[in-house]
Amino acid sequence: MSVVPFVFDVLAYGAIFVLVALGLGVIASMMGIFNFAHGELVLLGAYTVYLLEQRSVPSWAGMICAPIVVGGIGLLLERTVIRRFYAAPVVAMLGTYAIGLALREGVRGLLGGQFYSVTAPLVGSYTLGDVSISKWRSAVIVITALVMAACWLLLVRTRSGLQVRAALENPALARASGISTDRVYALTFALGSALAGLAGGLMVPIYSISADMGVPFLIKSFLAVMLGGTAGFEGAMAGAAFVGGSSAALPWFIKPVVADLLVFVIAIAVMKVRPQGLLSRGGT
Amino acid sequence: MVALGAGSYLYNPRGGWAADPIKVGVATDITGPISWGGIPNANIARMVIDDINTSGGLLGRPLQMYLEDTATNEALAVTRVRKLVTQDRVDVVLGGITSSMRNAIKDTIVNRGKTLYIYPQLYEGKECTPYLFCTGPTPAQQCDTFIPWLIRNGGTRFYLPSADYVWPHVLNAYARKTIEQHGGEVVDEEYFPVDHNDYGATVNKIMSNKVNVVFNTTIPPGLAAFFKQLYEAGFNRNGGRLACVYYDENALNITPANEIEGLGSCLDYFKAVNDPAGNKLQAEYSRLYPGSILFTAGSAATGMYRGLKLWEAAVKEAKSVKREDVAKALDHAKIADGPGGGSQFVPGTRHVKMNMYTAVAKGGTFEIVAKSNGPVMPGECG
Repeated sequence: MSVVPFVFDVLAYGAIFVLVALGLGVIASMMGIFNFAHGELVLLGAYTVYLLEQRSVPSWAGMICAPIVVGGIGLLLERTVIRRFYAAPVVAMLGTYAIGLALREGVRGLLGGQFYSVTAPLVGSYTLGDVSISKWRSAVIVITALVMAACWLLLVRTRSGLQVRAALENPALARASGISTDRVYALTFALGSALAGLAGGLMVPIYSISADMGVPFLIKSFLAVMLGGTAGFEGAMAGAAFVGGSSAALPWFIKPVVADLLVFVIAIAVMKVRPQGLLSRGGT
Repeated sequence: MVALGAGSYLYNPRGGWAADPIKVGVATDITGPISWGGIPNANIARMVIDDINTSGGLLGRPLQMYLEDTATNEALAVTRVRKLVTQDRVDVVLGGITSSMRNAIKDTIVNRGKTLYIYPQLYEGKECTPYLFCTGPTPAQQCDTFIPWLIRNGGTRFYLPSADYVWPHVLNAYARKTIEQHGGEVVDEEYFPVDHNDYGATVNKIMSNKVNVVFNTTIPPGLAAFFKQLYEAGFNRNGGRLACVYYDENALNITPANEIEGLGSCLDYFKAVNDPAGNKLQAEYSRLYPGSILFTAGSAATGMYRGLKLWEAAVKEAKSVKREDVAKALDHAKIADGPGGGSQFVPGTRHVKMNMYTAVAKGGTFEIVAKSNGPVMPGECG
């Protein structure tokens, strides 16, 4: 078995998956709302890059715009729709489902139901002897690592990050300390959406754009977040790394149809053994 | 055109007519992941029906078209089709693109509605339901000359990556038989969920087993990721040949042209065939429906044209629209001309014999490399 392609494959798919699941995880652990429109936020990121490329903007520039655009859309959604349902998270989830459906079918109409390809900023592959490694997929791994580091620094080293973590651990106490949970929620939703948008922008040269491209990520992202448990940012990352990594690794050994199923079986088994998730926050 | 709400449309014949209309039902995926096929189907149906009406109608009666959007959703499709046959009481239903859609709606049309059903898309064969007529290519038509060509112009080692549903499973069985008959070998046959997007393991197996021909039956959305990963691993560079029997001019947009350079396909029509009937249809179609969704064979649009014209011929012969009378005439109906050539139902089989063309993708367009020696037999239900 060829080790280098295997490791690269797991890292490359895992990286994209971590980026997608992290956005969902941040929102879910903060507000208890699973954003059913998350896959469509990924789609909007991809669509931004595609649209800009149609207007002769190079794809790397589109990829910088994508998180900004989708972050803005997420903020808009939060301010107009989501915030009305914080008292009833289940209703909020239904609301996000409806939003997701509207976005997906809207984009499908704009794309005419077709699939289109977008050129990667780095075309081609590095050849190491017998093995070819895609240049762009390598770049995505590096970019994901940098973004993870940046997010972690944001949360740990900045004042806003501190407020976010405070609101995450104990919303009532945070409010009593003068932290506007309203603003924190808006910021978190925007951040989660921006991450989704970035993921969509980065992945579109690899997977082509179509209206349904976000759908396969959604359920697995939920799985990753549940696996990640209550530990917020680090938990979501751990869960995503596990689900993404095993989704990529298992087809190397068993039939792909079985592999898909096995990811869920393994995740359920892990949650049975460790109900609090892979990582858990101890105390306050 | 009247939108009747929730995916239902009615196209009334223009002008004044003395006689009652003949009702034609078209059920196809105008929305959903298969809308790239449904839209040209609906377009070509409107075009043909308009043409027939302009030429005086059928049996002196105008054609009225009831269009239902099956939305790539089998459960929803059944309710929409039920409306066509029980409420609108159409005289014939044409439609369905994927085999799963055909299987979902055929019982409602043929048994409950006791209506004639014409299925226009290439598929895996073995559909022998009475009163169900197929006008798209069968595995025999797509493989019998194509696979020997692939062996001569690619190599003997085949890999069969496939989507996990009925069409690839049944087609692969036929393809494997044909491959082995002509001295080739199948290295592996693998099935993926339709939206699977990580093919690293498969690509690695293809490269390390020195596969010559990838006979692909994965479908979008997974297809784009697969072809790209295959290209990046150097499959095309090392002389590997891609093959995909539903690839047509609309499919060329799914991936960048360089990733599918040299891909082979075998269909009943390509624009590059450049035949007079096909060109005339293309011109009229582009005039009426400009845009990026083209009139192609892989999206069942040629089968829809063929289905409507053959049905028209059968109705003229039977001088009636009753199902039994039309079915008897349709059994041997023939049209002298059509995209890629004329076609004729093979009596007793409810399948069509027609010309088949092998084409190769070059620089973002298709180039014809082989043409069948006259119409090819479908080899079904005989």
